[in-house]
Amino acid sequence: MLVLLFILFGGLAIGCAINVVAQRNPLYCAISLIGVFVSLASLYLMLAAPFIAAVQIIVYAGAIMVLVVFVIMLLNVEQEERRKIRLGFLVPVAIVLAAALIGEVAFILWSVEPNPTLQPTDIGLTKSIGDALFTTYLLPFEITSILLLMAIVGAMTLARRTGVLSPGARVIPGAQLLAVSDIDPSASHEDQTPISSTTSDEAAHILGVVKRDQSKRD
Amino acid sequence: MGPQLSWYLALSALLFTIGVVGVIIKRNVIAMFMCIELMLNAVNLTFVAFASFFGDVTGQLFVFIVMTVAAAEAAVGLGIIISIFRNRESLDVDDASILKL
Repeated sequence: MLVLLFILFGGLAIGCAINVVAQRNPLYCAISLIGVFVSLASLYLMLAAPFIAAVQIIVYAGAIMVLVVFVIMLLNVEQEERRKIRLGFLVPVAIVLAAALIGEVAFILWSVEPNPTLQPTDIGLTKSIGDALFTTYLLPFEITSILLLMAIVGAMTLARRTGVLSPGARVIPGAQLLAVSDIDPSASHEDQTPISSTTSDEAAHILGVVKRDQSKRD
Repeated sequence: MGPQLSWYLALSALLFTIGVVGVIIKRNVIAMFMCIELMLNAVNLTFVAFASFFGDVTGQLFVFIVMTVAAAEAAVGLGIIISIFRNRESLDVDDASILKL
């Protein structure tokens, strides 16, 4: 029975993983990846690790994939177009090397001694994980929280727009006059030259919302 | 007889290899990012399998920490992807082959 379940979920995981690589549309990749995560969570349940299975669903299939799908939607990603394969003469070499690698791994897995069997234990339960996490492994746990804080700050810094508005400043295309120091607080405060915008394009450019010029990119 | 430890290891190796192939052949940054997540999950499967078969909770704690690192990586990585897209209007890694933004 467990063997059947292993084959079912393992096959599902491998199929979805191959689909992740094979798809050209990133959204389909993301949905296949959710399939991989869910089947891996089922395998964790078979391995008597219910806490990890729940965290896998909540964190991976929930939080991380929502973030990825959100970015895909935000950036309006187009499909990858088909391109000519470069270095095509290396394809047979790659196939031979891959076959050798698969052969080696299969031999190792086939020739190992009988394995330890799965014992009914309580190591996968939330209680035992919490015991170990807050006693023996307290320092890694705290370091992980610092890592998360750094990631939050880093992500905000990276995703922030370049133009910074000082509080109270409003830009309305057409009739707005602003001092330079209103738009960029890092500019010197002696420079009180007003900035005006007459179109929404200009306003967006002043605020740094639009793309840079073509000349700046090279 | 249930599934053996080596079966889980073989499945994990297969998933990891698929992830590596994806990172190599994909050109879209987001797709490469998802293949990296796939590799992290393959390693997690190894950890959980060893933890369960040897009756040691340390492997599952390691999986927990790997998941945290993956979440942090997702936040920072997607921030980098957004800023690259803002500068180049493309998610193709070949368009971002120089580090200068």
